[in-house]
Amino acid sequence: MFRVIAVGAGLVAATVLLAAAPIEPEATPTPQDPQQPQREVNVFLTNPGSHPKIGFQVFNSSAAALSEAGATIVDVLAADLDFEKEFYVISRKASAAIPPASSPQTLPFSQWTDIGADFVLMGSLRDAGSGKIEADVKLVNTKAPNAGREDFTRTYGGCTVAGIRHCAHSIADDMHKQLRNLDGIARTKLAYTTDRDGEPSTGRPIENAAPSKEIHLMDYDGAGDFRYTRLHRLSIAPSWGPDARTLVFASYAPTPDVFFASLNDSKPLTRPAQGNDSMSNTTPVLSPDGTKIAYTTSRGSTGGYYDIWVVNRDGSNPHNITPATERSSEGAPTWSPDGSKIAFTSDRTGTNQIFIMMADGTFPERKTFAGKADHPTWSKLGYIAYTLERAGGHDIAVLELTRGESRVITDGIGSCRQPTAAPNGRHIAFVTTRWGGKEQIATIDYPTGQGIRQVTTQGNNTYPNWSPLPSGK
Amino acid sequence: MKRLHALTLVLGFAVALTGCVKNRPAATPAPAPNPFPGSVSSRTTPATVSGEAPPTPVVVPMDATVSAISANDPFVNTSIVDINKDSPLRPVFFAYDSDALDETARTTMSANADVLRKYGTWIVTVEGHCDERGTAEYNLALGDRRAEAVKNYMVSLGIPASRLKTVSYGSEFPFAPGHDEKSWSQNRRAHFMLTAKQ
Repeated sequence: MFRVIAVGAGLVAATVLLAAAPIEPEATPTPQDPQQPQREVNVFLTNPGSHPKIGFQVFNSSAAALSEAGATIVDVLAADLDFEKEFYVISRKASAAIPPASSPQTLPFSQWTDIGADFVLMGSLRDAGSGKIEADVKLVNTKAPNAGREDFTRTYGGCTVAGIRHCAHSIADDMHKQLRNLDGIARTKLAYTTDRDGEPSTGRPIENAAPSKEIHLMDYDGAGDFRYTRLHRLSIAPSWGPDARTLVFASYAPTPDVFFASLNDSKPLTRPAQGNDSMSNTTPVLSPDGTKIAYTTSRGSTGGYYDIWVVNRDGSNPHNITPATERSSEGAPTWSPDGSKIAFTSDRTGTNQIFIMMADGTFPERKTFAGKADHPTWSKLGYIAYTLERAGGHDIAVLELTRGESRVITDGIGSCRQPTAAPNGRHIAFVTTRWGGKEQIATIDYPTGQGIRQVTTQGNNTYPNWSPLPSGK
Repeated sequence: MKRLHALTLVLGFAVALTGCVKNRPAATPAPAPNPFPGSVSSRTTPATVSGEAPPTPVVVPMDATVSAISANDPFVNTSIVDINKDSPLRPVFFAYDSDALDETARTTMSANADVLRKYGTWIVTVEGHCDERGTAEYNLALGDRRAEAVKNYMVSLGIPASRLKTVSYGSEFPFAPGHDEKSWSQNRRAHFMLTAKQ
């Protein structure tokens, strides 16, 4: 999958070591039916206005060893579909008594329609040799006059037992794209900071120092967690590049500096902001075209007041885009999806509020007016989510850009901070203390704020950042 | 003349110390690697990988106000980690959401300045810390302002800026783990961390 970033104990901040065992790349399973025409959005409803209801049949498999993989595909696919809520997933308890069919034509349609199914998802797995599994997936219409019609049919040739969840996520994304014209996020990941590894931080000469914080990557649903850094210091604020293959983050070496990482090869980390121990460079974000990095820095400041600088990814042309604000702090930049603007936090009017400016720093305009606001994240769906601090604590608020109005979308339970939007804008991940006081990452739906799910469970987890789609969108 | 005498003593002592280190028996455990690439003791560990800036050698300026240190001084043979455990350099505390230095803070810094005058080779990092109530990003900025405020005051007391580095940990590394004012008051601080001593 990804290479681990590590630093040898004796050469802190000097050598980047690779993990001993390379991890098999998470290759996207390749659809193997090029002759299959791409269907139009084509889901028929018996009850227009409601979500199409899908029942799941157990996957058939040629070998007993594959039945577990088949069960995993059904579990993961059902959870992925349920997450987007484009389909209503019928509980598998409700369909447990329905005998499985070996072909679409032999499905007991009346039994399926009795429990409300508009469609049945059926599939089969077979061993394709060399460790590969081939998965056939069909979404079959249950209702006359279309009963037995296959509304989605694909064969996935690149699945493996170890990568079976990824295979299921690919099916979910394809179904959402083909049947609902939706960019599903089933294959996206969250990068975040955690103290869970519990290893000492080597950056401070102090006994019993707090554990280091490392960068981890996980699937959007919390599975497949992968420790990316072994830097044994404070590493925070990861942010994905637009290709979903690069990452920037801030790491204390010994003061925070911006690090640029290429996830799928062994290129060493670079430090485009060229920090040194007399400055702090934090919260980097790559521009939507991947060529520039905006970040928060104390560079050029005498009193610890931050500005936002932009530097090219290769380290050239670093420049201050908020230069005329000597006694206020500007930070936490986030690019607009087209790269023309930057939203950010500033305390120039007293307390921290969200502003939007052109990407060159001109025409700053205040956008929030209540409490204190921080950590804006700009979604493609036309909103900016941010942390709102009021007397009662922290909540996630969204600024709807068309109306220019903010509203709170979390429920006031625990502290809710550091939102990050899914690439399709329909979900927001954030940090919350609602489960036992530690900082955990959760997801909710946009715009409803409903459907909260706990994604992490161990340690304190902060600075979630949602990857783009694997296609780079 | 008196000052010059003191300077000679310090220089002589420094030479003696260097000799000491060189003649250390092989059985002595190697000192822990210094994790601060910019500090003096890592000068011999050059960075080799591109992308990690090479450590900048720090030239320790001879502070003319430094007085002589007795070879029996308790800190001469004490490790940096052990000194930080019960440091003669006391932390400076702050009010909520403030980087202002009150009377107590100035008294603390005055005493810390005396210590740094006595130990003229010590280099400290002033760490800015915050309680957990602000946002993480805001606290990084606030911690930097606290550290800078302390550094600037120490410089005004005559301590060379080159002996005072600053870093903000925001609310990432709290000293007290609780979620009440008792812990928060401990966590709103500028912490003097000794990072090099000779």
